[in-house]
Amino acid sequence: MIWVLVKKELHRVFSDRRLVFSTFILPALSIYVIYSLMGSMIGERIVDQQEHISNVVVYNAPPSFLEFYDQRDSDYGLDFNGSNLDIEEEKDGLKYGSIDLILVFSDDFDRRFEDYETVALQAEVTTFYNPSEEYSQAARSKVVRELLADYEHDLLVKRFGDASYATAFGVDITNENNQVMDPAKATGTGLSMILPMLIAMLLFAGAMGIGLDTIAGEKERGTMATLLMTPISRETIALGKVIGLAIIAIMSALSSFIAIIASLPNSGMMMTGGEVSITSLALTPLMYLQLLLVMLTLVGIYVGLICITSVRAKSVKEAGTYITPIYMLVMFAAFSTIFQSGDPELYQYAIPILGNVLAIKRLLTFELLMGEFLLTILVSILLTGLLIAMITRSFNNEKVMLNN
Amino acid sequence: MIEVNNFTKIYKLSRKQMSKEKTKFKQKVAVKDVSFVAEDGEIFGLLGPNGAGKTTTLRTIATLLRPTEGSIKVNGFDVVKDSAKVRSTIGFLTNDLKLETHFTPTYTMSFFGKLYGMDEMTINRRMDDLFTYFGITPFKDQKISELSTGMSQKLSIAVSLIHDPQVVIFDEPTNGLDIITAKAVTEYLIHLKEEGKLVVVSTHIMEVAERLCDRIAIIINGQKVADGSVAEIIGQEDKESLEDAFFSLYSRYAKEVD
Repeated sequence: MIWVLVKKELHRVFSDRRLVFSTFILPALSIYVIYSLMGSMIGERIVDQQEHISNVVVYNAPPSFLEFYDQRDSDYGLDFNGSNLDIEEEKDGLKYGSIDLILVFSDDFDRRFEDYETVALQAEVTTFYNPSEEYSQAARSKVVRELLADYEHDLLVKRFGDASYATAFGVDITNENNQVMDPAKATGTGLSMILPMLIAMLLFAGAMGIGLDTIAGEKERGTMATLLMTPISRETIALGKVIGLAIIAIMSALSSFIAIIASLPNSGMMMTGGEVSITSLALTPLMYLQLLLVMLTLVGIYVGLICITSVRAKSVKEAGTYITPIYMLVMFAAFSTIFQSGDPELYQYAIPILGNVLAIKRLLTFELLMGEFLLTILVSILLTGLLIAMITRSFNNEKVMLNN
Repeated sequence: MIEVNNFTKIYKLSRKQMSKEKTKFKQKVAVKDVSFVAEDGEIFGLLGPNGAGKTTTLRTIATLLRPTEGSIKVNGFDVVKDSAKVRSTIGFLTNDLKLETHFTPTYTMSFFGKLYGMDEMTINRRMDDLFTYFGITPFKDQKISELSTGMSQKLSIAVSLIHDPQVVIFDEPTNGLDIITAKAVTEYLIHLKEEGKLVVVSTHIMEVAERLCDRIAIIINGQKVADGSVAEIIGQEDKESLEDAFFSLYSRYAKEVD
């Protein structure tokens, strides 16, 4: 008998072109378009930064620096200019982004360097940059870490008269293969940053739209009372609603998921900072089963939460108001795993939703222990059971069901 | 057969409802100590003004509400202990029960038929009968949202009768119906009575009570103040018409409660 009810819920959605569009097609389409767009925009920004030639204004450039730079200028992608203006005036250029960096060499730079054993003041390079401008920050980092480091090394070689005196040690000079990683786990680590959050949010979003209407809407329109007049027990009606909604939520999340994978060639850069293909993530069959169970039990909690909200509300509008803080909580749990570093404590797996998202994350990095997995599943099942019991109780409450 | 014994229904009022009802009491007695018996093969009417407790009584018989005190039995089944059995023997018709307008009449009828545990053949036979009687057949595969008001009202009635219930309860049977549908409905109620079914209706329209009901119970302010055939009630009050008898009772009992 429960399948008659579940089938009706599914028939309601799938025979309605508008609902199919708004529940399955529109979210998937917008995810694909937005992610692809964001991914290619971020990609373009990275390329743009690499190609940008920084505008650096130099004061008091000593002869040794000019000589060094003349030989090497093409290596750094920098544009050096002298200036007749006051430093304070040039600083305005920094603020407004027309200049990326100001470099000031101390007076008598070369002399102070050469007479380092006797001078009171060491030679110094002063920099001014604007940390709120990406170009400026990149220019400073390039100039200090590369150009000035090379220049200093060059000066030291001159001072000691031999390159080997100026070098204490080298890093990875004879070692080209310095990266050691398991490609599957690398993909997993990349995906584990973003995927659990997406799964957690998409599953909820998929269930929310239809879930609020399925009970609160039926109460509001008076169709629920017709259903309550049949000899079917209230428990069966409640379960039929919950199962029907769970199936729709999973299918909606699946369509969004396919859209994410389809957008990966464009958005991989944004999500993981590198090339990503889902095929290189090789989970074992047991892990796929675990992933499925964690997700299913998460759906159980979601659908339970949405249904209890929907059943206690008098109208769809009211249900929408109640569900907002719950959605915020889901988002909080989803986002918090992104910032989680180090090994989580066992108790964290016992926190509903957070535990599920955490379990998905650890599963993708091959770090989920069986005990942690079982704890998550157990808590989810208990909570879902509790929610279903509450929903059934509400179905038996005449005040709730007849909007009295 | 319906047996109502000392039925009392008390609603708890929320703060909002208290201010709406302009009362300081946290509860409201909707029906107080009402008893009556309605037999198979008759049309039994509950007559009373709006807010007298008619709908509460019918909803409790239909198991949508629970009695606060007293007991109600339908064909021997208690409305609280055996509510599923009660629901399978009654058809409850009211304007508050709506159908999902996205589906077709055929789908709706077969969906509800299955919920009443009927097999496909029985559902189809019963659907044919009801659709033919109410003239729904030409529209059976259109969406309910595309039907006229009268047609969808007739469909609601057909849906509540899909399982051929022994007891039919109709809250305000002609309220909100267009005149042609109203006539079809009253004729069908008489047809049901002739088949030996029990029909219980509530109404505040004297004419409906006089024309349709074999026996009536008059309910004022939640209390039953008279019952019997229309002629008996007119006789008891020594008046010319049911309307006069009703107002004579009303002036006496409405004051008593105030």
